Amino acid sequence: MMKRTLMTSMSLVLALGLAACGNGNSGGGNAAEGSGDAATGGSGEKTKISYWTGDRHDADFVKEKVAEFNRANTDGIEVELVVKGDDFDTALDLSFQTSDAPDVIRVKENTIQTFYKKGFLAPIDEFLTDELKAKFPAMPDLNEFDGKRYSLPNYGTTMRLVYNKDLFAKAGVENPPTTLQELVDTAKKLTEAGKADGAYGFALNFKSPSSAFARSARVIAEMSGYGGFGYDFKTARYDFSGLEPIINAFKQIKDDGSMLPGVESLDIDPLRAQFAEGKIGMYISYSSEPGVYKNQFPAKIDWAAAPAPTIDGMVKGASGFLGGQWLSLSSKSENKEAAWKFMQFMYGDQVLTDYQEKGFGISMVPSISAVAATPDVNGIEGFLPNKNDGVWPIYPAVAPEGMKSDDAFFKYMLNGGDLKAVIADLNKRYNAALDSAIANDGIKAEPDAGFDPAGLGGKFAK
Amino acid sequence: MNKTKNALFSYSFIFPSALLTIVLGIYPIAWAFRYMFYDYKGYGTARFTGLDNFSRILKDTQFWDSVVNTFVYAGGKLLITIPLALLLAAILNRGLRGRQLLRGIFFMPTVISTAVMAVVFFTIFNSYNGILNQFLIKLGLSDSGIDWLGPKYAMLTVILVAAWGAVGNYMLLFLAGLQNIPEDVYEASALDGASKIQQFRYVTLPMLGPVMQMVIMLAIITALKGYESIMVLTEGGPVGKTEVMFLYLYKLFFPIGGGSAGVQVQEFGYGSAVAFVSAIIVGIISLIYFYASRRMNQTD
Repeated sequence: MMKRTLMTSMSLVLALGLAACGNGNSGGGNAAEGSGDAATGGSGEKTKISYWTGDRHDADFVKEKVAEFNRANTDGIEVELVVKGDDFDTALDLSFQTSDAPDVIRVKENTIQTFYKKGFLAPIDEFLTDELKAKFPAMPDLNEFDGKRYSLPNYGTTMRLVYNKDLFAKAGVENPPTTLQELVDTAKKLTEAGKADGAYGFALNFKSPSSAFARSARVIAEMSGYGGFGYDFKTARYDFSGLEPIINAFKQIKDDGSMLPGVESLDIDPLRAQFAEGKIGMYISYSSEPGVYKNQFPAKIDWAAAPAPTIDGMVKGASGFLGGQWLSLSSKSENKEAAWKFMQFMYGDQVLTDYQEKGFGISMVPSISAVAATPDVNGIEGFLPNKNDGVWPIYPAVAPEGMKSDDAFFKYMLNGGDLKAVIADLNKRYNAALDSAIANDGIKAEPDAGFDPAGLGGKFAK
Repeated sequence: MNKTKNALFSYSFIFPSALLTIVLGIYPIAWAFRYMFYDYKGYGTARFTGLDNFSRILKDTQFWDSVVNTFVYAGGKLLITIPLALLLAAILNRGLRGRQLLRGIFFMPTVISTAVMAVVFFTIFNSYNGILNQFLIKLGLSDSGIDWLGPKYAMLTVILVAAWGAVGNYMLLFLAGLQNIPEDVYEASALDGASKIQQFRYVTLPMLGPVMQMVIMLAIITALKGYESIMVLTEGGPVGKTEVMFLYLYKLFFPIGGGSAGVQVQEFGYGSAVAFVSAIIVGIISLIYFYASRRMNQTD
């Protein structure tokens, strides 16, 4: 009896233990890599600070710059660079729980609000000179909260349709598609031309539907004048109906057999590897792609990028230009002065200019954009900002009960059903969650009748 | 006096692990216990919502689907793992040439990181250029390959990968059990004219009972809680086909795809409630198993 009680309680404790921590071994692609670039020589105590990033596309460049800072700075500061994988957010959460937080944190347009609310970030106003304030534009909700600055912009990310020029030529298609119907038709033609060699017209990284739609359906919707995540800034309500024709087009491509088989389990890197091999005709993604095909997966094909299509060929909005932040100071840092010195180095003209010229990102800092040369990377031309690129306001993210929009849309793509009913259900659940977030979590969502999506463009290029 | 001294001596040994258990085991559980009655997103103040999280669980079809998937996954994994592990252990317990090497080979998957293992299996099973499909196509067994990680076969694939990873571990435990069975029992049964199969059925299995009960118990709990390889292989997809209980739970705390998707909202409060219910489910299954298998443990 004693033994039985013991075993039962042991199993309960085991189960609960994992449940409570939930994160024991994250397993998923944790490519965390510590690369302390210890400065050689030097005397006396070093001030050690750490910089955590989840970026891999620029990892070598940043590593080089960190080493340069460690060598050159005369204040005895030593920066340890930690490049995390997909578990960056999780690792950061844990680091703040365990008082092991980094000093400098890489923030993005989709994380800075959360990190700010969690109290991870320290304002940097005390360090900002008038010159710096003038040089780096303040962007509410993207680097400025409640009148205080928490980060400075470096580069912005654009979104484009990436296409295989060789396969286009083989299929006799001259121009990349500009409407959803053309996207569907082109995917079909490319598949007909390429299928014998295992090439298909279109693909997206549907292993993670949220990641796939956030780089594709989102930009098509934004170009067509709808909020990319189903939020309507005019009414301050969720309304996913703008995405309906886009999801239907994706479903059509899948039903036509023009989508790469196995997209259900395709991650973005395997997708890129396939594109580099010439097995994919088109996909939609961020401006980090040219760097990937230069360094990570050298492309064996001739490729280019073009503006994402719109629903009907008319541009009624702006293609999201994502950015406005790069590095932030940790609220838990015990060496804020030293951390700021490192940030100051990273935000120096030389690093920022190199960053663009080497093709890691397109500068969002006006004084750098004015002087930095076009990045020396094949394929970047198509990603440079044009008159239709613009910064969208931040939407109030909510946690609805039940299936998330991306999963519901992908389920429809695979299993069919009634998309209008799916959308009505999403609207209901997301708005209920929004109401709750407004009432309880201090989320602000105010209607803006004068909101003009078309007016967002034209600020970075004419 | 001597007694007190002894007790102190014993407590000093227990103290370090008791402390660790409290800090790393009891405290997180207490933390989760508290938040299951709250709406807490990981920032701001947690709002007490009573039993709201639990009534949400009752309506949460995604969670109940994941419970069903967990049973399918765990059941499939056990059905393959336990008989195979027992068979391998029985074979390797004999005086087979090279058995030490074989034991090492079968045990190897246990020491390989689950994530690394799943990445390797991804290159085998992925449908567009996976090794398995290329092999099938070369042999003329399939025209365009099979979508191993697609809606139809994804569950089967993750079960096979999980079984591959687990079989060596249980084989080793069975082997330890087999080696505790005295040789003279076999000799006696041989004198009575028992065949090898009869020996296995009437000597090996009953004498392995207590070990087997423990091993199956561990296997059940591990299988019900497993999610790591699924996370790497399919992230629970396509459309939730391989989403098991603890992966669903994990995603509530740490949404996947955060790096390149929209703004993600964490649900610590609801996640804690789901964790509690999941733990109860695992506990109930363990109890049922323990009750049903009590005959296996005749040494009580």
